[in-house]
Amino acid sequence: MKRRHLLAAGGTLALAGLVRPAHAAWTPSRPIEFVAHNGPGSGPDVFARALISAIEQDRIFSGRIQVANRVGGGGATAMNYMMERRGDAHVVGIWTSLWMSLPLVQAEARSLVTEMTAIARVAIEPAVIIVRGDSPYRSLADFVEAARARPGQVRQSGGSPTARDALVRQLLMAHTGARWAFISFPSGGERMSALLGGHVDMMVAEPAEIREQVRAGRLRILATATATRLPLLPDVPTLAEAGFPIADVIQARGLLAPPGIPEEAVAFYGDLFRRMSEGPAWAKYVEDNQLQSAFLSPADTAAFFRSYQGQLRDILQAGGVRVVR
Amino acid sequence: METLAALGQGFAVALQPENLLWCLLGCFLGTIVGVLPGLGPAATIALLLPLTFGMDPTGGIIMLAGIYFGAKYGGSTTSILLNIPGEASSVVTCLDGYQMARKGRGGAALGIAAIASFVAGTFGIVALTLLAPPIAEFALSFSSPEYFALMVLGLSLVVVLGGSSLIKALLALLVGLWLTSIGTDLFTSQSRFTFGSSFLLGGIDFMIVAVGLFAIAGVLESIRAREETTALPVPNRLRELMPSWAELKACRFAFLNGSVVGFIVGVLPGAGSAIASFIAYGVEKTVSRHPEKFGTGVPEGVAAPEGANNADSGGAMVPLLTLGIPGGGSTAILLSALIVWGVKPGPLMMTESPEVFWGLIASLYIGSVMLLVMNLPLVPLFAQILRIPVYVLFPLIFGLALVGAFGVSDNPMNLLLLAGFGLLGYVMVQFGFPPAPLILGFVLGDAMERAVRQSLTMSLGDPAILVERPLSAVMLALAALVLVSPLIGRLLRRRRAGVAV
Repeated sequence: MKRRHLLAAGGTLALAGLVRPAHAAWTPSRPIEFVAHNGPGSGPDVFARALISAIEQDRIFSGRIQVANRVGGGGATAMNYMMERRGDAHVVGIWTSLWMSLPLVQAEARSLVTEMTAIARVAIEPAVIIVRGDSPYRSLADFVEAARARPGQVRQSGGSPTARDALVRQLLMAHTGARWAFISFPSGGERMSALLGGHVDMMVAEPAEIREQVRAGRLRILATATATRLPLLPDVPTLAEAGFPIADVIQARGLLAPPGIPEEAVAFYGDLFRRMSEGPAWAKYVEDNQLQSAFLSPADTAAFFRSYQGQLRDILQAGGVRVVR
Repeated sequence: METLAALGQGFAVALQPENLLWCLLGCFLGTIVGVLPGLGPAATIALLLPLTFGMDPTGGIIMLAGIYFGAKYGGSTTSILLNIPGEASSVVTCLDGYQMARKGRGGAALGIAAIASFVAGTFGIVALTLLAPPIAEFALSFSSPEYFALMVLGLSLVVVLGGSSLIKALLALLVGLWLTSIGTDLFTSQSRFTFGSSFLLGGIDFMIVAVGLFAIAGVLESIRAREETTALPVPNRLRELMPSWAELKACRFAFLNGSVVGFIVGVLPGAGSAIASFIAYGVEKTVSRHPEKFGTGVPEGVAAPEGANNADSGGAMVPLLTLGIPGGGSTAILLSALIVWGVKPGPLMMTESPEVFWGLIASLYIGSVMLLVMNLPLVPLFAQILRIPVYVLFPLIFGLALVGAFGVSDNPMNLLLLAGFGLLGYVMVQFGFPPAPLILGFVLGDAMERAVRQSLTMSLGDPAILVERPLSAVMLALAALVLVSPLIGRLLRRRRAGVAV
């Protein structure tokens, strides 16, 4: 296995150096299908449409791309579909962290991203740790102290145990020894209402969804759950700067293809999304939505899948969540 | 006074010819989307969003809000005429709306739905205009124990929704509670009752259950009973296609009830418009002088839920515009549209972009009038659908039900589930089990379970949290009152009979 990878890598290098034009041999012969695992208007669907519009605006690719919503199974239907379309290079799936966490905890979800063809990682969704504007916690250390003093009585609102907010909590609790409650809500709106209403004390949110409430003084940002400071929040410390050097839990988005597609097609898509991620339309989208552009090549994306899944498995197991794979 | 002046400015914006045109287009598209089952307002807004990027933000927002309001308006049409809920929020409208249509009052039911939508929808917008900031704070005071109590109050309505047998209604409710627990558990990320199927990890879609139990089962039952081999009765005279004064008078309380219940439930981010319409229907039946007639085609049974699901739209705009919090799928996509245009919904929107804020609100008033003007003339037209002979009508209903199932997703598993729920509904009718309690359990069960588990995590396992907070205590007391109301009614009647003797 390893040797084949090396050979392939060597071959790619040789091709790149010597016979470059032959490399871009594959081009789509019919419309490309972007598979989103949820319905129109949902996160992955909106993201798929944003990618298409960035590709069109910057004239990266002139062929037709359409969104296909493969809804069901909490994402499993779309993942199964990618496996079923083995060898079909005209199908591209929009992956999110869910695509990696779902098979880890659900025995029924048998389609693994590590068995599909990695194409690219394009964006990272940064996170910030927030409290109410009138909260007594001026820093993350204040919050952790309060949780240590009253175990279980300080609360965080969030999503499911496999979501990023839960993972950050697990790492913080393991690092500090403090314990606080995690209250699951199905939607971001409900999480935010619980925080604004004073029913919980802390939340891990995306910068775009809290910008206005912070500006109005109803919320306060304690730290960013990122490796480096965010350009739009230059005064907010990272977790490490705030005194909590825990591992960075990346929530990313990108693209993948069914297993067994031609090498040339992988190269075509890798090149397409690299050029897209360097264009002005993408830069504007990333800025508007407070994301981080984070392109990874197909080979690096495959490595990212493996390392992320490993990290996720370790955190979940340490947190007592049943892991099936 | 300040509000009125600002609103006047808003009207000046919204009444510009080009914005009026966008409003009209939005209302028109929304009505169509509402009529078609399966395709909801959230999906439509998402699909049209890219087209509006080139537009002036105010016009774009006005059009999208028109779609959002219009879809709720149009949802009742197929509920009444074909027993197919066009949107999740119009399931309850099927109960009496379809029965009215079978009695030849289909046009009247459509008219009442349109008028109730207008009255309650406008009430919701007025409340939004005058009360938005304080009522948003009220919504924030609602925590998990309050949501739990609200869901219990909703579930207690099973005693009024059920037919002759309370036991059968409760059994149907339990089946609904079980069905809604299928899927992935939010709190543990573990699967429940999926029987090894990855498809069921996402749970069963509400539309599939509702369309199967109402539309498919209804057709099967009609075929078995061989009741109408000719078309349903449709009056010829235009006057008889519209609601009569007596029918409208019977709906007086329903208009108010639907308005208030719909708005309050709409403001809460953790409750949906389906819940609002169920509660309004339950309240209507509880206070009615002839509760036994509900389900046989009474106009109040259409007016209350239709009003509620339209007042809900105004309510849902409150947390969106004042706090930047979306309460559901449609408002979430509206929020992302607003952000794309550089409008930032949140606590500062009212002061920083008053022209967009008030322009949007003014356009809601205009949209509400437009929808009424557009929908009332359509009533006689839509009512003609019932003239179609059954050998065309039944396949049409099946076809629309399939479209609805495909609208949810193009997974063939959904078609199997649809057929399964159709058969289940048919069997239930044969054995005298009412389908409405099952739907009630399905809609509320999930939210109630979540609220209980959230509350218990907050209280470190102490169940007292569910009853000790004043708002939840009041709602639980009301639920208890509803639960014993049939008993009280029976006692009162017995005493009255005794006096007469």
